[in-house]
Amino acid sequence: MSSLTSYAAVNVQLNRLRRGWQRFVGFIFPSETDTWLTVFRIGLGLQITFYALFLRSDWHYLFASSGKGLVGRELGEAISSFDSPLIPKFGWLIAVGRNLNMSEETVLTVAWVSLLSAGCLLLFGLLSRPAAIVAWFIHLCAAESGGLLAYGADNFMTTALFYLMLSPLPDRYSFDHWVAKTKPKNPQALGFWRRVLQVHLCFVYFIGGVAKFLGNGWWDGSNLWRSLIRPRFNVVSPDLLVHFRYVLPLLGISICLLEVSYPVFIWLKRTRRIWLGCILAMHAAIGLMMGLYLFALIMIVVNLTAFGVPVRPAEHRRLE
Amino acid sequence: MHAKRIYAAWFGIHFFLITAVCLAGVFSLVAEGATILPSSIETYARKAEITIAWLLGKQASSSNRVKQVIATYLHAAGIQAGYTFFAPNVPSHHRLSLEFFYEDGHVEYESPHVRSKAAALRLDSLLDKLPEERYEPIREVILKMLALSVWREHPDVKRVRATFETVQLPSITEFEHGKAETHEPMFSFDFSLRGQEQQ
Repeated sequence: MSSLTSYAAVNVQLNRLRRGWQRFVGFIFPSETDTWLTVFRIGLGLQITFYALFLRSDWHYLFASSGKGLVGRELGEAISSFDSPLIPKFGWLIAVGRNLNMSEETVLTVAWVSLLSAGCLLLFGLLSRPAAIVAWFIHLCAAESGGLLAYGADNFMTTALFYLMLSPLPDRYSFDHWVAKTKPKNPQALGFWRRVLQVHLCFVYFIGGVAKFLGNGWWDGSNLWRSLIRPRFNVVSPDLLVHFRYVLPLLGISICLLEVSYPVFIWLKRTRRIWLGCILAMHAAIGLMMGLYLFALIMIVVNLTAFGVPVRPAEHRRLE
Repeated sequence: MHAKRIYAAWFGIHFFLITAVCLAGVFSLVAEGATILPSSIETYARKAEITIAWLLGKQASSSNRVKQVIATYLHAAGIQAGYTFFAPNVPSHHRLSLEFFYEDGHVEYESPHVRSKAAALRLDSLLDKLPEERYEPIREVILKMLALSVWREHPDVKRVRATFETVQLPSITEFEHGKAETHEPMFSFDFSLRGQEQQ
């Protein structure tokens, strides 16, 4: 009798686990069309193109070896090699170039041209996956070799390119689809990669919001003031900002609340547009008022991709 | 079903790593006493940070394969750092001033420079990182490199003094009372072609 009871209890637990697993699978494999992927590809194409163009005049100076550049590529590469020697870096490409009798300068020029070309190809959707892989690899080399000079936008660009490279490219609005008449991609695979991006953004904002809440400067508005008057970020005159002194604490707290509650309200249909609109406005303001254009653009692209494109369930086809 | 299991497993591992990196970042801020939380929990935060660092293989030797694989994946996916930008507080701004001493006794003042605004943001980001404890072992080398980058444009210079300063920004009230930013030297190095001495 007791063995029968324990068998039933185990069965109940197993059923619960099975239902939990099915709910989890249902959550991470929703059926989707590839519209979001088009937005993602075009957005990252723009981002990579602007990144390459903005750094055009300093590219060699930032990534040249010691004695020729700003701090020397070797230092950044040594730091990343301390973490792991397997992390891609420009040093690899330069070593390959040396075997082909190419100078460091030529290799860096080729890398820059390849990055710009990859950005343009992504923009038009020509050779989408190879372009995404090349863009990810060269940008990663730049971010690691110039690791000392990297900032937040680089991490987000690496992550976004990593997801794009793994997503089921090409999408149906790309030249690839038009030229090669590729088959429609699996809707569940499309849904999976969008879900990854959505969940990732929830982590980004929740952690960012919690960390900001832990600083007193976000409660009294002094952090906003300090951000906006920092040399290089001081696009808006402090004389003008002073007029908004009583608004700054409210804005500071609102930013923290917006970020920390993002993982909840961005999923609810009723509040999604409001939260997305506020987050997009916040990033646009960061771009325009602090001159952080690349950071603003990448955040706008990933947010629009993740939650801006309406969810349209595709014709159901299971991922086997 | 097989493909789904692989995708689901990757999803779990990927977000486990993101969670670990993010939590390590937050615990590190708490342990450094940079937050409004009571100082009594700093020890626990440090312990939690160390535990997470162990989970991520950071405590292992640099030749450890597991550490290398985890680190490579984190860097390849761009998830090696948490998302604590401008948190808990906006970091101080820093500046590097270079004094060039010529043979004839005259002195010129310069700063490391780049051409574009996009690169200038990166240079500022580097300068703001330097006061962090983890950059202490390479701080002098970086400053030398930055000094050298400007020195190349002034080949007749006999000696260079690099002074690293914190830029203290005024609060709103101080600004209203006419106070401007002030510069506080943190450390300085003297470089010459034949030898060098730290001050």
